Amino acid sequence: MTELLINLIITLIKILVVLGVFLGIGAYLTWFERKLAGHIQARMGPKLVGPFGLLQPLADGIKLLTKESVIPQNADKPVYYLAVVMAVAPALLLFSVIPFGPEFTLFSYRIKPIISDVNIAILLVFAFGSLAVYGTIFSGWASNSKYAFLGSLRKAAVIISYEVVLGFSVLGVLLLAGTMSTTGIVQAQIERGVWFIVYQPVAFVLYLFCMLAESGRVPFDIQEAEAELVTGYNVEYGGMRFGVFPLAEWYLNTMALSAIATVLFLGGWSGPHIFGPLSPYIWFLVKMFGLVFFVLWLHWTLPRFQARDITEIGWKIMLPLSIVNVVITAIVAHIL
Amino acid sequence: MPWMNRATADRVKFEFKDVEVEFTKHTTNLHVKQERLIDLMKHLKEKEGYRHFIDHTCIDFPDTKERFQGIYILYNPDTNERVIVKTWAKEGKLPSLEKLWACARWAEREAYDMFGIVYEGHENLRRMFMWEGYPYHPLRKDFPLEGIPEVELPSLTELYAGRTDPPSHDFELVHTRVPTLEDLERTEKARLQKKAQLVLNWGPLHPGTHGTIWFLFDLDGEKVVQSDVILGQLHRGMEKIAENIYYFQFLPYTDRMDYISAICNELSYATAVEKLLGVEVPEKARYIRTMFAELQRINSHLLWLGTGALDLGALTVFLYAFREREKIMDIIEGNAGFRLTSAFLRIGGVHYDLAEGTLDVIKAFIKDFPNRLKEYHNLLTRNRIWLRRTKDIGVITREDVFNYGLTGPVARGSGVPYDIRKLEPYAAYDEVEFDIPVGEVGDVYDRYLVRMEEMVQSLRIIEQCVAKLEKLPKSAPYVNKEHPAVMSPKEYVFMDLEDMVKNFRIVVHGENAPPGEVYSSGENPRGELGFYIYSTGGSKPYRLRIRSGALYNLSIFPKLIQNGTIADAIALLGSLDPVVGETDR
Repeated sequence: MTELLINLIITLIKILVVLGVFLGIGAYLTWFERKLAGHIQARMGPKLVGPFGLLQPLADGIKLLTKESVIPQNADKPVYYLAVVMAVAPALLLFSVIPFGPEFTLFSYRIKPIISDVNIAILLVFAFGSLAVYGTIFSGWASNSKYAFLGSLRKAAVIISYEVVLGFSVLGVLLLAGTMSTTGIVQAQIERGVWFIVYQPVAFVLYLFCMLAESGRVPFDIQEAEAELVTGYNVEYGGMRFGVFPLAEWYLNTMALSAIATVLFLGGWSGPHIFGPLSPYIWFLVKMFGLVFFVLWLHWTLPRFQARDITEIGWKIMLPLSIVNVVITAIVAHIL
Repeated sequence: MPWMNRATADRVKFEFKDVEVEFTKHTTNLHVKQERLIDLMKHLKEKEGYRHFIDHTCIDFPDTKERFQGIYILYNPDTNERVIVKTWAKEGKLPSLEKLWACARWAEREAYDMFGIVYEGHENLRRMFMWEGYPYHPLRKDFPLEGIPEVELPSLTELYAGRTDPPSHDFELVHTRVPTLEDLERTEKARLQKKAQLVLNWGPLHPGTHGTIWFLFDLDGEKVVQSDVILGQLHRGMEKIAENIYYFQFLPYTDRMDYISAICNELSYATAVEKLLGVEVPEKARYIRTMFAELQRINSHLLWLGTGALDLGALTVFLYAFREREKIMDIIEGNAGFRLTSAFLRIGGVHYDLAEGTLDVIKAFIKDFPNRLKEYHNLLTRNRIWLRRTKDIGVITREDVFNYGLTGPVARGSGVPYDIRKLEPYAAYDEVEFDIPVGEVGDVYDRYLVRMEEMVQSLRIIEQCVAKLEKLPKSAPYVNKEHPAVMSPKEYVFMDLEDMVKNFRIVVHGENAPPGEVYSSGENPRGELGFYIYSTGGSKPYRLRIRSGALYNLSIFPKLIQNGTIADAIALLGSLDPVVGETDR
């Protein structure tokens, strides 16, 4: 009984820590992105609110929270509200299967820095990734606007084509690791002393593409396409309800998918112990934010694709590539 | 640009006995009876090679029997000759030329809107700029300048408040009765074909339309089955205003047309008026004009580049382009005193002499700008995504260039080397060296490349102008103040009695232009901006017609976007680059 209670408390603390840290980072990622975009675009970015504009996310949050939130007259209200939840929940749930470091002992309790170390973690990732599209589709449908509707349909088309590629690209890693548990995959890489990116470079590139597509970043941001669809699926939302969509899609999703890429391909928390006891966590965050930075960098550099090009690339180029990759991996893994 | 020569005119005269040929000082006019108009136009287009449609408009003579005279301006790209065809409307009717030139449709709709002339055989004779249900025709001479106060645009609010007239702005409520839609009947039929179709409303305020144009797209999925363009949101009646003020007073109004290339507009207008008045422009002024027009061209192309890339999702190019644009703005501001609507030119010269240090700043800009251009090329030109979005999208054939009266970079992108700066040099364009870039395919990508290369050529022109201006003495005149119709610069007005009296006379009585007519045009960043001035003597033009390049370039949009997607529409619109201030005037 006490065992269960203690486990429950430990899990609760872990949840609070992860939520607090990543929602906070998510908010500050907006500051980082704006600063980065500013410097890429030869301007300053936010600099007036607080030192280096560091209080800008707070100001934005207050602004969004205090704004009047207009709901369209003919909106489907339950679905309209549900869309917000459906957008943010899967993105947060993704963090539950991410291992941030190795097991450690605290007050004689063995603690794994992962919320739930299930042995089907990667399956869960796919499941949550697919669920995320509901937020977009619901918002497009419920707001009863043609722009939003078109945007959400585009997103659906992208997700459908890229979910498949995502699954196949990860399959190679699973074959090598022999497990679906995220901790197990990292352990496998540490035991071999090699990151899976070395064995699976093609899969890594495919995964990056899928990551961009899933998180709706340039060059796959067709569901937003502000020039054509104003801002697409969230055009009828206002206030914090509007703020949740980019937070979930652009920041939380990007972070979570980068973290999973780190686990799958970049050896998770492995790295030389140069920062003392915290070094696994630092390594994990460094790798993860390296990928996040890459995504932001692309966002502020490239133009965007067309919907038909994206699906075409997805089905005609990336899917065959990923299948070939899986087959070759399977054969090689079987022989060795 | 030369006008139709005597040999051709004689041939036409031989073919059409009742055609009267009139050689005026600035133009060649063919007068034809209304019944023979289509035959003559067909002959000119097919036999004589006058296949480029430049403009159509009307003049109202309330005192004559037929009252309305139709004016058609055509261009022969083989011999580089223009001709004006004139015909009197019979009982307020003219035959429609839409079978011969597709863009005549829009020009005729505009004339219908402004003069109330009925075009027989026009497929969709609707109002172009004014709203449907408006009972008057503003460019008629009996229409008062201040308008008719009881009639104003009905608004949505008024409709909800119980007003009975159907407002043309509310598409949902009265959409079968909104008759400003291009090709409404066909559109309606198409709309009924399939239930799954969606009508997407773009504008009048939409980030993709670069102003206040209203588009309607009939979508089948993402595919555009049909599209309508509704103009007139920014219609200010420039031509009506011009008829009621002196020539020099209209100059600042031209700034407000294509507000992105104000100095180019002024240059076109000033050239036309100077031709009419017979004003010689001093050398220094010509070079200053050329230099600033080219700076303005770069400025305008940079805006096009930035917004075009922004439309396709490349967010950074926008700010890179604006950074350079800001430098040009500063140069213009330093000389003219204004950034956007600069009113820098004057009839007979420029308003101010070059400001101290201008040439040094421009030289620094010339030195720096090629590197910036390289940056844009690095970001876009060979970018695979950019290529995919722009290649083979919106291909314009050479025939369509002539059929739709396309000019400027849009025409040159399709391989038609139509550039007024070469064909009819004005300012100092005949004394500087530059090339005309042309495209091969005529798609969005070619138009992009053409504009990018045009910036390089503009830079070349500016460089030569700077070299020339450095050699000219500081005391060289920048305005031809000897001419009786040209106002003297301020420094003389305060010092010299004669200059003061002259200025006083011009401001009060106007320039007193001789009777006659002029069609003169300039090569604007958005195509040929032409001014057709019909003067019956006196200080105000009897009729001033503005031939807008952007309007004609836009007229091909509904055709090009068919079977494209919404995402293509944005790329295409960016490459046609209309500015609503000029399309609506």
